[in-house]
Order: sequence, then C-alpha cells, then structure tokens
Amino acid sequence: MEEKELIQNLKKLRQIKPEKEWVLLTKEKILGREITPVFTVFKPAFAALTVFGILFSLFVFAQNSLPGDLLYPLKKAVEKTQTLFVSQEEKPKLTLELADKRLKELNQIVQNNKIENLAPALNEFEKTKTEVKKEVVTIVKNKPKEEAVKLAKELGGKLIEIKKKEKNVYATLNTEPSEETNQTAEKTILEILIKDAENSTLTEEQKEDFEKVKEFYKTQEYQKGLEFYLTSSLNKNVEK
Amino acid sequence: MDKLRKTFGKIYDRYIDKIYRFVFLKVGSKEIAEDLTSETFLRGWETFKEKQKEIENVQAFLYQIAKNLVVDYYREKNKTQIVSAEALPIADPRQNLEEKIAQNLDLERIKKALNQLNDDYQNAIIWHYLEELPIKEIAQLLEKSEGATRVLISRALNALRENIQKV
Repeated sequence: MEEKELIQNLKKLRQIKPEKEWVLLTKEKILGREITPVFTVFKPAFAALTVFGILFSLFVFAQNSLPGDLLYPLKKAVEKTQTLFVSQEEKPKLTLELADKRLKELNQIVQNNKIENLAPALNEFEKTKTEVKKEVVTIVKNKPKEEAVKLAKELGGKLIEIKKKEKNVYATLNTEPSEETNQTAEKTILEILIKDAENSTLTEEQKEDFEKVKEFYKTQEYQKGLEFYLTSSLNKNVEK
Repeated sequence: MDKLRKTFGKIYDRYIDKIYRFVFLKVGSKEIAEDLTSETFLRGWETFKEKQKEIENVQAFLYQIAKNLVVDYYREKNKTQIVSAEALPIADPRQNLEEKIAQNLDLERIKKALNQLNDDYQNAIIWHYLEELPIKEIAQLLEKSEGATRVLISRALNALRENIQKV
C-alpha cells in the first residue's frame, strides 16, 4: 500500500465514534444533570401553554428521529404506549410492523450515510427482531387450530420478508446479518404447518413438497423449511 | 462550581469522540473502550475541579489519562499490548458495530496492523494521522523531543506499512 493511500485510509478510521446515547448517559453520570432556569417570572397559564407546545413539538420531532438521536427514546416510548391499547386481533400485525419500522430506520440511515446512527440502529433492529420472534411464538401458540394455521402462514411470510430486507440492507454495508441461532419462532410456525398438512389430503405434488419440508425440519433448517413451504404447492388451501 | 461544570461539559463534548476512538483502536472492544473512556473523563473531572488552572493543555491531559488507563488495563489483564491480530478481543458482532462501519477490507487490515505495533508507534500514528495533533503536543505526550518524535512517526508509519503486507 502506497504511503499516501495508507494515510488516507488511516484518516477513514475517524469514522469510529461512540454511541450517542452512551455519550449522553456518561456525561450525565460524570457531571450530573444540567438545570438551566428558563423562566424568571412564573405565569401559570402561559407556562402551561408553553410546556404543552414544547411537548407537542417534541413528540412531532420524535416521530422522525432515528436510533442514536436524542429524541429516539421518546419515539420508542410512544410506540410502547400504542402496544398497550391494541386489541388481541391487531397485535400480530403491530408486532411485525415494529420490526419493519426498525428495518426502515436502518435502511434510511444506510442510504443517507448517517454513520453515527448506524451502530444504534443495528442494535435496535437486532433487539426488536428478538422481541418480535418471542411475540410471534406466544401469539400462534395460544390460538385455536384453524386460526393458528392462518396466522402461522401470515406471520411466517412476514418473517421471511423481513429476513430478505435485512439481507439487502446488510449487503449495502458489504456484510451479512449474524447467523440466526434462535429459530424458535420459525420452528413453532413450521410445526403448526406440518401438523396441518399431516391432517389433510394432499395431492401428489403436495406430498412431494411435504417430504421436503419434513426434511428441512429434521435437519433443523427451520427458516429454509418455512421459506420452502410458503413458495410450495402446500401453501394453497389444502383439503381437510 | 456550576461554571466549572459547564466548562468541563464543553471539554467533554469536544474530546469524547477523540478519546473514545483512541482507546477503541488500542483495546478493540466497544465495551472496554466505553469503560476506559468513561473513567478517563471521570478522573479528568476530579482533577479539573481542583486544579483547573494548572492544566495547560486539556487535550494532552485527557490523552495522558487515557493512555495510562489502557496500560493499566493490559497490565491487569496480564496481556501485552503487542498482540497478534488473531489474539485481538473479538466482541459480539452485533455489538462491535464500529467494525461493521469500516467494511473496506483495507481498513480492517490497517486496524489489525496498527494493533501489532508497539505502544509508542500506535500512539504516534493515531495522534498524528488521525487526530492531527501538533508535533509539540505529541512530543510532550511521548516524553520525547520534537525531533525524536518526527523520527518516531516516520518509523511508525513504515512499521505499519510492513505489518499491512503481512496481514
């Protein structure tokens, strides 16, 4: 490597920066919170309106914040509140929408080259993915058979979609997502779909595809099994 | 005290990235870099509170603390700072995301090669080429003359180039 090139590459190491959240927390830990008096004359009505106005603006700005931004925790808090008021029927959809949201944020950061937000965004996405998968398992396990199968197909499809989008985002970073060690969600979904197929009358083509799915399950390749199932002849209305 | 706190707050904002980067490049782990950087500024603040007027160069002061903490860290862990690239602490890939930022293969090689240099060479390269500290400051930190520092920087870069060929 030529000296000039080496020096140029050394300067690129300036991209290494700490996470914004950590920076703020550490500053607070060392120096304590800064209290700056804003009003010298306290007028209750005006103050209340100003506070409301500030809070409202904060919520609005927070909606566009990205992992690593100051207002991002507020955005997450609002999302958390929304999940408390959602019905059981809507919960699966919302759960997957959250994973989708995190992925969109990550994609936005990558597209706009916001290096300083990248680390927090990748962290957030991984955290959400883990939570979403846990949620999926809870949802399908507690449903009656017919509904479980329908949900399994829907949620399974969404999980595969998210996996594909994730791969694309990581590809733009010239890397791949970390190996999926936890495939409990995919396994649970595949089990439901296998049981359903076992209790159904299958065509010759479907029987062939079913053997392939069972093979994937046996070799613990649950994600691949699910992906295959969803594109196979089995993913049509099977006769009961 | 509030004024002191505000002043140090500005110092923190100004140098946190640089100190973190310096520590991270030497220890290779996000978690350890965060701990040591946090400790650097904590100690810095404790000294600043008592002896603000005695600190001539804040940046050098902070780098000195960071440098000593890294040395203590390795001493405590019973490691030498000249480690082979294979022996570098490999953080959880989901957490050591700074690694993911430097996706260019050349940067990975440079980081590994940098870690194979001795302490003075590493510091010289980081301070001169990354952080663009003046020679005078680097000389003070290295406790050498300016002339000797220039020579050291040149030798460090050559050593780095050699190491890159091997990585």
